[in-house]
Amino acid sequence: MLLSGLPNFIESTMTLRLIFCLLLCATQSHAFADAVDAASATVKIAIAQEPPQLNSMKATDQVSIFVLGHVMEGLTRYDRRGNLAPGVAERWELEDQSATFWLRKDAKWSNGDPVTAHDFVFAWRNVVNPSTASEYAFILYPVKNAEAINQGELPISDLGITAIDDHTLSVVLERPTGYFINLTAFITTFPVQEKFYQSRRDSYAADAKDMIYNGAFTLTDWVHSASLNMRKNPMYWNADAIKLNAIDADYITADTRARLNLFIDGKIAYTQLDGETYKDALNNQFRIKKFVTGSVYFLEYNYRPNRLTRNQNLRKAIQAAFDPEEFVNKVLQTPGNLPGRSLFPTWVKGVNATFRQEFPATVNKPDLVRARALLEQAKAELNVENIPPLIMLVSDSPTSTKQAEYMQGMLKTRLGLDIKIDVQTFKQRLAKMTSGDFDIVGAGWGPDFDDIMTFGDLFASWNLNNRGRYNNPEYDRLVRVAMNSSDPTTRMTAMAGLQTILYDEAVLLPMYEQGVIYLQHPKLKGMRRTVLGSDPDFTYARIAP
Amino acid sequence: MSLERPLTEADFSPAPGSAAAEQLTRPSLSFWQDAWRRLKSNTRAIISLYLIIGLAFFTLAGPLLWTQDPAAQDLDQISQAPALPKTARLVADYQPFAAPIVADHPSEPEDYPDELAAVAELSVLGAATTQSVKLTWAPVDQAGGYSIYRSERKPEGLLGLGLPLETVNAGNIVGFEDRLNLKSQPYYYSIVPTDGFDEFDVVTTIKVEPEQSITISQAVLQGLATPDDLPGQVIPLAFHPFGTDYLGRDILARLMQGARVSLFIGVVAPLIYVLFGVFYGGFAGYLGGKIDQILMRFADFVVALPFLLFMILFKIAFGIGPGESGVMPMLVALILLLWPATARLVRGQVLKIREQGYIEAARLLGGGSSYLILRHIIPNTMGVILVTLTFAVPSAIFTEAFLSFIGMGVAPPTPSWGSMCNEGVKTMLSHPHELFFPALFISITVLAFNLLGDGLTEALDSKMRTRDQ
Repeated sequence: MLLSGLPNFIESTMTLRLIFCLLLCATQSHAFADAVDAASATVKIAIAQEPPQLNSMKATDQVSIFVLGHVMEGLTRYDRRGNLAPGVAERWELEDQSATFWLRKDAKWSNGDPVTAHDFVFAWRNVVNPSTASEYAFILYPVKNAEAINQGELPISDLGITAIDDHTLSVVLERPTGYFINLTAFITTFPVQEKFYQSRRDSYAADAKDMIYNGAFTLTDWVHSASLNMRKNPMYWNADAIKLNAIDADYITADTRARLNLFIDGKIAYTQLDGETYKDALNNQFRIKKFVTGSVYFLEYNYRPNRLTRNQNLRKAIQAAFDPEEFVNKVLQTPGNLPGRSLFPTWVKGVNATFRQEFPATVNKPDLVRARALLEQAKAELNVENIPPLIMLVSDSPTSTKQAEYMQGMLKTRLGLDIKIDVQTFKQRLAKMTSGDFDIVGAGWGPDFDDIMTFGDLFASWNLNNRGRYNNPEYDRLVRVAMNSSDPTTRMTAMAGLQTILYDEAVLLPMYEQGVIYLQHPKLKGMRRTVLGSDPDFTYARIAP
Repeated sequence: MSLERPLTEADFSPAPGSAAAEQLTRPSLSFWQDAWRRLKSNTRAIISLYLIIGLAFFTLAGPLLWTQDPAAQDLDQISQAPALPKTARLVADYQPFAAPIVADHPSEPEDYPDELAAVAELSVLGAATTQSVKLTWAPVDQAGGYSIYRSERKPEGLLGLGLPLETVNAGNIVGFEDRLNLKSQPYYYSIVPTDGFDEFDVVTTIKVEPEQSITISQAVLQGLATPDDLPGQVIPLAFHPFGTDYLGRDILARLMQGARVSLFIGVVAPLIYVLFGVFYGGFAGYLGGKIDQILMRFADFVVALPFLLFMILFKIAFGIGPGESGVMPMLVALILLLWPATARLVRGQVLKIREQGYIEAARLLGGGSSYLILRHIIPNTMGVILVTLTFAVPSAIFTEAFLSFIGMGVAPPTPSWGSMCNEGVKTMLSHPHELFFPALFISITVLAFNLLGDGLTEALDSKMRTRDQ
């Protein structure tokens, strides 16, 4: 998903996944004990907004993803350490062009019916059905014929998914997709029982009674615009591992200060902080935690004809003058952000360890002498005495204008480059990015699924989110190599090749990996912050006595 | 006694002219001299006048005396409050820090421990400077990692540990480097051991006071040192008497540069539109009749036009690209839209004056229209005009400040007082000086022009002339 330039308020376009920062919270022990209750194993939270609807086939926003992540379960899920673990599927086998899932017999819907392979077939066909108009349909594109069906070229029965029997699911893939299993933990691939869906039709998932659940919790009470309560699901196959009895979202507000006040009053057990509120939290002597959101922020260049930024030496001069360490420590100033080294963030998995551990990114050492020499070369190649002012497009949040001003001043003093800052609203910035009306644009990218490809294909020539129209056949070739292989080593080596191209040609200028800070009730344990799916995840949380 | 002396011819001749009788004991005062005299006796107005002269000096001569570049970013002194000059120790350029690893210690606990011991032997590695503070400690048995916190106040127990700086996810990594916006003030670093997932309730705290320092390459870039200078030397840092903003830019230099924009708009726009209003209103008032009606209805029409909308339209019409200054369209919008107030005022005055007896007399004596306007009518409206002008100046400065505040005015990095307030208000609670100084300058300027305007009203109004004599 594409991110706006501002931390904490991530928006997206390709997927139109509007992420509303979800704020759930905890109190200090000196406050009232309302926020958590050990005896009844209850945790109270606040959510930023009411879920528009909880239909897993259509949901796109962060609050819906949060709720669905607790009340539903896919073929796979994430365990308490954030690793992919069996969900409804007991085990699976992934081959080059196919995958088989064996479903556990004890997986049940909250009405007592077993969860069967047919429920997945029904849901997946519905997702790619053009009349459903699911914005996340592309998640299923690795499945055979999914794209064609979604474009309306084939009937939905041609989708490469078959229920061999009630508990065996067979999937045929369009091409080898090494990360296919990771997709099956995403809400769009969650099962839906056809019988129940048909009994509700349009009102499906519009209210607590209009849904059935197969997750660790069930939605018991949904007072629209007021509260949303989840209770432990006794039918859940792994109910013994679930320690919480209730998650009560008693407050629905997007105001960070209001949420901090609720936290201070001991009404909620978790809240995220921003630049405005973190000093108050410090003054209240709260224990602040931090979390790396998994999103990367970078400057993207325009490669359309006649743009100065097509010149590699100019881009390399900017790269050599920029010090991400200085940027993170002196300009961003909030803890948790990591200096940008690569398009691939530090958490992305590689073959055995993380990708960045296995293939370290080149550390860009700021070198003024080299930067100036590169700029002279660029001027000679462009045949200009002075580089005309470059236009830097940023969104209108305070943080991104501040970052742009830093870049402007830094490039002026170090290289004598003139930058004009074009401040636009998020929507307008997107329109200008799409039409190519910029030289440099501040952009961000967050992961959609747990695979390096969610970042890797960003600069492929066919990707519509490659706003600068960067076009490099070698880059495209390496992306295809990684897409068409299921061998981790081949894929990661190809991605390492991308990382090298991105650095050597200074295709983009990584600025930082975003971190956020938040407050959590000290008695609330095991709450998992995650870059993917339901964040935060209370599934395995417990209340310390 | 009788008149003995007969009257002679000489007694009936005119007495000899005496210069003494004609002598004026006090200097004669023209209208302007009188106004000036009365203005001088108004202390508030005179102080305001001096303030305005001072501001003009600040704006025009200031940058010659205070030569810091208003766009230069002094990243070693970000959001610095007003203070005396500082010195810093030169340190070598930054070298990446490799955290020490205890080889024979397991990186992960074998099981989830129920309790962990507090971190021991917490100490500072090398010298603590504002470039970097390096910490090291002894590994904790069964630990799966460590969380490092930093606070500006002494933490009491587990509360108030402060900012979470880093979480080390291995029990055998026993070092950490902090570079996050360090200032030369005491910090309390706290280390909490974890099992790799949850933190335990034991904490070890160390107090560190980093020394103000600057890297050689930064010092060379700022012209504070030469490449031959050696680490360890103490050099004076750039001095910022009014402090610096969120990117380490000198606030005094920015105020001077910002004053140019603010006062340019504040003085030029009112001068032009008041002048236009005077001619427009004078013309309408003198001619009267149908022409007056048409002209004044047009003025009413202009009053009804929304300023902000036109400001945006002009910005587009001028082809002001992204990142370019919106000062010119702002000037045009101010001039084109704000003249009717002056025109109405002057027209009213002219209507009144042209019916006065002395105008009639002058006309009967053969004075032509241009003579009447220039000699009699305009000088008599001068009081009103000057007062309008002095009140128009602060309102134009406010308009500029407001437009820059909402981002319609100057383009970064050029500051104006309004845009500086806009930036300062974001950090009002933590760094109030970034808002205080530009706000103070706007307030003083507006107040000075207003008080001077008040003083001028009193000095120039003929009805008040007799009051103090």
